[in-house]
Amino acid sequence: VKILIADDDGMSRRLLEKTLEREGYEVIAVDNGRLAVQQLSLPDGPRLALLDWMMPELDGPGVCLEVRKQLERPYVHMVLVTSRGSKQDVIAGLTAGADDYLTKPWDPAELTARLRVGQRILQLEDRLVEARETMRFKATHDPLTSLFNRGMIVDLLSRELARTRREKGCTVVMLGDLDQFKSVNDTYGHAVGDEVLREIARRLLASIRSYDFAGRYGGEEFLIVLNNCDSSQAIVRAEEVRNAIATHPVQTTRGPLTITMSLGVLASRDWDVQLVEEILGEVDLALYQAKGDGRNCVRIAKRTSLCI
Amino acid sequence: MMQLSDHSSQRAVNLDELLTRVENDLVLLRELIGIFEEKFPRLLQSLQQSVARGDVKNVEATSHALKGMLSGLSVTRAAAAASRLEQMAREGEKLGLTNGLTLLENEVVGLLMELDGYTAEAKP
Repeated sequence: VKILIADDDGMSRRLLEKTLEREGYEVIAVDNGRLAVQQLSLPDGPRLALLDWMMPELDGPGVCLEVRKQLERPYVHMVLVTSRGSKQDVIAGLTAGADDYLTKPWDPAELTARLRVGQRILQLEDRLVEARETMRFKATHDPLTSLFNRGMIVDLLSRELARTRREKGCTVVMLGDLDQFKSVNDTYGHAVGDEVLREIARRLLASIRSYDFAGRYGGEEFLIVLNNCDSSQAIVRAEEVRNAIATHPVQTTRGPLTITMSLGVLASRDWDVQLVEEILGEVDLALYQAKGDGRNCVRIAKRTSLCI
Repeated sequence: MMQLSDHSSQRAVNLDELLTRVENDLVLLRELIGIFEEKFPRLLQSLQQSVARGDVKNVEATSHALKGMLSGLSVTRAAAAASRLEQMAREGEKLGLTNGLTLLENEVVGLLMELDGYTAEAKP
């Protein structure tokens, strides 16, 4: 566990350093408050800190105030260590954002016990953050394929459209549907159908860029949003996706299955006049056209506002 | 682990407390005494000059630093004297500063020699 010691008194700093090293901490020691803030602001900086009250550049409470402003940083447990022990000092220190308070000269056993309390609090925070992230993932992702779920991919499309409007860029939207997927379920069972969907999701993600979005729009329908994609590339990119699925059979527990996808594609710079629902309607029509034209192909939505 | 002898009841350092703090690490004790001996005379001199000038702000800061160093080495009575001086300076009591300084000086007479004794004993 990394811990920061900030103390301008070399003797006190060395004593703390040695005591904490004996306890197995990885100690980072600095002699002023400004350096303490720098260390605590690093992405992998310490999350436990022992801060002297009076220091050059910035005092201990000042360090607490600065660190507490960084709301997006993981929580840092800060203990003020000082010979200022009046009730007003304690109140001022805690109000500035310190979590605990230790009076000099400190007792080694008390010091380490209080730091263990700090570690328990940080572990609790980590568990809460992890639980929140798990819930967030579940709320935004499809449990079978781990792609974005319908709500999230439509939301991402909406945000992307707003950005495209602002920056006068171009976004490509693709709606793909697996051809005759019902027959896979009917012939081999839903477990094999699920295997196919998972593999298709994997291939979709492999065929788009890391900053593009792919989501499961419905049962066997997938929505893909290509950010900052030049409209002239729309068909090329859609064909890449189609080929990624059609070229190699999907290996399942019931043997290899040839799967194909039909895609409707829309690319436009003229988002001002189009709502998300309208865009989805347009691309859906193009998808149906692809189905009508024999499946396993790409069709472009026909609109006067298209830039392709 | 080495033991240091308890020379007399007049010693300035609370040795039991200090050894507990360093967890009987005599190498660390020597290191801390070295840091103290390097900084203490300069700080004391700065305090004496600040008291002579009536510079309460500097008296407060210097006596606070001395208090921290002295209590760190369990020089208990001297740390208390430095604390009183700090308090007086914070409250702007210029008149008491000279007496407060004298009390502190009396407490640290022979301190460096006493610490030297511990250092010599603590040598491996």
